[in-house]
Amino acid sequence: MSAPSPQARRPRPGQSLSDSPTEAIRSAGPDRRARALPLLLRSPPEPWPLALAVALVALLALAPLAALALLAVQGEALPSLQLEAQGLSPLAHTLTLVVGVGCAGGLIGTCNGWLTARCQFPGRRWLRLAQLLPLATPSYLLAGTLIDLGSRSGLRIAGPGWAMAILTLGTYSYVVLLSSEAFSRSGARQQEVCRSLAVGPWGSFLRVALPLALPAVTAGVALGAMEVINEFGAVQLLGVPTLSAAILERWQGEGDLPGAVGLALVTLALVALLLWSERQGRSRSRLWAAGQEGASPELWPLEGWRCWLAQLVTLAPPLASLAIPLIWIGSSWDQLPAQAIGDLVALGLRSLALALGATGLTIGAALVLSIGKRLVKAPLVRALADGAALGYAIPGTVLALGFLVLGGGWGLAPLLLLVWGYVDRFLAVAKGGLDTALEGLAPSVDEAAQSLGCNWIALVGRIQLPLLRGPLLVAGVLVFVDTVKELPLTFALRPFDFDTLAVRVYQYASDERLGAALIPALVILLLGLVAAMALMPSLDQQIPDPQALPRRPIPTAKPNP
Amino acid sequence: MPEAITPLIRAPWRRRSRAGAWALAALGLISTGVQARAEDTSIGVYSGRHYNSDQKLYQQFTTQTGIQVKLLEAKDDSLIERLRQEGKNTPADVLVLVDAARLERATSLDLLQPARSATLLRTIPPNLRDSKGRWVALTRRVRVVLVNPALVKATSIRTYGDLANPALKGKVCLRDRKSVYNQSLVASQLLLRGEAQTQSWLKAMTSNVTQPYFSSDIPLIRALAKGQCGVGLVNTYYLARLLNGEAGPADRALARKLQVVFPKPAHVNISGAGITRYAKNPQGALKLIEFLASPVGGKGYAEANHEYPLKGFGDDPILKGMGRFQADGLSAEQLGSRNRDAVKLMEANGWL
Repeated sequence: MSAPSPQARRPRPGQSLSDSPTEAIRSAGPDRRARALPLLLRSPPEPWPLALAVALVALLALAPLAALALLAVQGEALPSLQLEAQGLSPLAHTLTLVVGVGCAGGLIGTCNGWLTARCQFPGRRWLRLAQLLPLATPSYLLAGTLIDLGSRSGLRIAGPGWAMAILTLGTYSYVVLLSSEAFSRSGARQQEVCRSLAVGPWGSFLRVALPLALPAVTAGVALGAMEVINEFGAVQLLGVPTLSAAILERWQGEGDLPGAVGLALVTLALVALLLWSERQGRSRSRLWAAGQEGASPELWPLEGWRCWLAQLVTLAPPLASLAIPLIWIGSSWDQLPAQAIGDLVALGLRSLALALGATGLTIGAALVLSIGKRLVKAPLVRALADGAALGYAIPGTVLALGFLVLGGGWGLAPLLLLVWGYVDRFLAVAKGGLDTALEGLAPSVDEAAQSLGCNWIALVGRIQLPLLRGPLLVAGVLVFVDTVKELPLTFALRPFDFDTLAVRVYQYASDERLGAALIPALVILLLGLVAAMALMPSLDQQIPDPQALPRRPIPTAKPNP
Repeated sequence: MPEAITPLIRAPWRRRSRAGAWALAALGLISTGVQARAEDTSIGVYSGRHYNSDQKLYQQFTTQTGIQVKLLEAKDDSLIERLRQEGKNTPADVLVLVDAARLERATSLDLLQPARSATLLRTIPPNLRDSKGRWVALTRRVRVVLVNPALVKATSIRTYGDLANPALKGKVCLRDRKSVYNQSLVASQLLLRGEAQTQSWLKAMTSNVTQPYFSSDIPLIRALAKGQCGVGLVNTYYLARLLNGEAGPADRALARKLQVVFPKPAHVNISGAGITRYAKNPQGALKLIEFLASPVGGKGYAEANHEYPLKGFGDDPILKGMGRFQADGLSAEQLGSRNRDAVKLMEANGWL
C-alpha cells in the first residue's frame, strides 16, 4: 500500500477535524461534509486488496443463488411463475405478516431496547439477557407446542393472528439487540446536551436517541421481515398460506422444481427492491453520533408503577417463549421419553462446533463486506457488498437446493457445504448490525485517521475494529443462536450420522412426538442463554474512547440528578 | 526489541492464538463426524422415515450381516433432490421414502436401479412393488374415517364418498392439502372413480368443512373426541399411538371415545425402499432391503410405528382391535402417477 499523498497528511489550517466536545450530534445533508473534505484529502488510494476480498466474499455468497437461477431456467420459463389458482393470496398473506410483525416487533424491540439499555429498574441486567431467549426458541416448536396445548383444551390455534404473534416473538430480539447496542453507544455527553436544553427522558428518547438509533431499529426490522418471508415451519403448522408455503408446494406438491425456484428468486428480487428503497429513503437523513463519547450515560431511574410496567414489558416476551414449552412439559411429564445423555451430549457438541465455526466465518465475511463498503468507493463494490447478504430472504429449503447443485457437481464434503451454507444464510444477520454501527460512525473519524497518515489497514485495525467491538459481539451472538437452531440447511446438507439438536427437534416434532422433541429444544435454549451471558457484561461497558487517552479537552461535569 | 514493549506486543497475539485454538478445536469436533468410507462393509441409507425404532432395526441388520449402516434422515423431497444433484458422487446406496408418489418421483428421475432378487419377487405382492423392480414397499398405512359416535352414526359412512353428504355440514374436519396422505387419497379416488366424480366429491366434502384446516393428525383426533368435529380422515397409526398411551392417559381416554370406519375399499399408502442408481455397494443395499422386507425386518419396521405389514393385518393388538380392512388394490405406482393431478384438483376445489 502506497503512502497517502503529502496533501492528505496536512489538514487545512483552521479546519478542525475532530468535533467540538459540546456538539454531540451531527446531522448533515447528503454527504455535503464528506464531499467537501476529500477535495483536500483527495484520493487516499483505493484499498484494492479490500475490494478484492469483497468481490471474493460476494462471489462465494452469490454462487448458490446463481446455481438456483440455473435450476430455474431449466423449467418452462416465465409463464409458470404466476401463482395460479391461489391468485395473490400468498403474496397478501406474506405482506400482512411482514407489516404486522415489523410493526409489533419494531415497537416491542425498540421499547425493550431502550428500557434495558438506558433505564434503571430492579432486574434490568437479567431482563436484558433474557431478551435473547425468544430468538433461541425455534418458531416451529413454539407453534407446535401451542397448537398441541390448545387442542387439549379445545382451543383452535390457527390463522394469521397467531402466526403474527409467534413470529413477532421469534424476531423482535433482533431489534432489541441492535437498538439497545445503539442506545448504549450514545454516552453521557449526549445526555448532558439533552439536559442543558431541558429535554426530559421522553424527549431525549424520542427526539435524540431514537433518531440516532433508527438505522439499528430498521436493520432489526429488516432482518425480522426477511425471516418472516423465509419462514416455513410455523406458518405451515398454523395454516397460513404464505409465499414460502406456495414455493414449497410448487416443488413438493406439484413436482415443479424450476417453477418453485423461479418463484423464490422473484420473491428475492422483491426483497432486494424493498431493502434498496429503504436505504435510499434513509440516505437523505443520515445522522452521526460523534463516535467518541466519553463516560457512560447515567441510567434513568424508574420507580413505582413505571418500574412495574418496565419489568412487565421486558419480561413478557421471554417468559412467553420459555413458558409455552415448559407448560407443555409440566402438563405431560409422563410422556417425556428417557433420553440417552450420551446421545444428547453428542448432538449438543455437534451443534456447538458447527455454530462456533460458522459464527467465526460469518463475522469475518460480514466484516469484509461492511468495511469494504465503507472504504472502497467504487459503486460496483458497494453493490456487491449489499447484494451478498440477500440469501437470508430465500426459504432455507430452497437455498439448500442451490448448495446441493454446487456440492453435487464438485463432490464437495457435506460439512464444508453446510458451513458455507450457514455463512451465506446468516451473513445478513451479522452485516446488518455492523453496517448500522459503521453508518453511525461519522466519516470525519476515518478522515482524521487518514489525515494523520493512517493507511487503510491501520485505520481498520486501530480505529474501526475497536469501535466495532460491541456490534461485533452482538452480531456474533445473533449468528450463533441462529445457527444452533437453523434447520432446513442442516437437514438437507449434513453428512451421514450427523444429527444436530435442531434436526432432532424437528424430526420428533414433525412426527407429532412433541415429548421427545422438547429435551433437545431445551438444550438449544440453554446454548442460547450461555451465548447471551457471554455477551452481556461487555454490552454494559463503554467502547474505548480515543479522546480519553492523553488529551481530554474538558472533563465532563457530573450531570444534575 | 526493547524489553518493556514486548509484553504489549505479545498480548494480543496470545489472545489471537487462543481464538485459533478454539477454531481448531471446533474443526476437530466437526471432523469426528467424517469417516473414511469402508466400501464393502458399509452401506449408506438416505431415509425419509424418522423413527428411533428404525435405528434398532439397522443395528440388528449389522449384527446379522456385519454390514455397517450409515444413516441420514431428512425430508423425502430434499433427499430426492440431494440424490439427484450428487449424481455419481452419491454416498447413498439405499433410498427409503414415505408415500407412493415420492417413490414414483424417484423412479421418474432415474434415481433408482432395478433390484434383481427372487426373494423380493416372491415375498412382495405385485401391487406393492415397482413393475421394473426399482423399489419395493416395506410397510402399509391406511387412511381411515374416524367418527365421534356421539355426533355422527358410524353406520352412515361406508366410503370416502359419504363424507360429501350434506347432512355432515359443519361436522367434517380435514387436514390441509399439504399432507401427502391426503394427496394420495385423492389420487386413489381419481383412479377409482374418475375425474368428474372425484371433483364433485371434493367440492361437496370441502363445503362440509366449516372449521380451519388442521396441519397435523393428532390435534384433529383430539378435536373429534372433544366433539368439535363429528368425522375426520386420519392415518390409523396416529390413533394407535394415542390408544397405546404414548401421549399420556388423557389422550388415551380421548381416543377411546372414537370409532374407526374402514371405508370399502380402503386407501392404502406405503413406505418403501430402493437401491440408488449409483450405489457403491449394491449387494449390501439389496441385503438390507431383503432384510427389511423379510418377516423379521418387516415386523420391526411396521410394529414400532403401528403400521400394517405388507401381507395380512399384523400382530399389533391395537390395530387388531380396529378391525380388518379391504384394500383398494391400487398399485403404488398408479397412485404416484396421479399425485400431481390430485393436488391440482384439491387446490381448485377448495381443499386448503
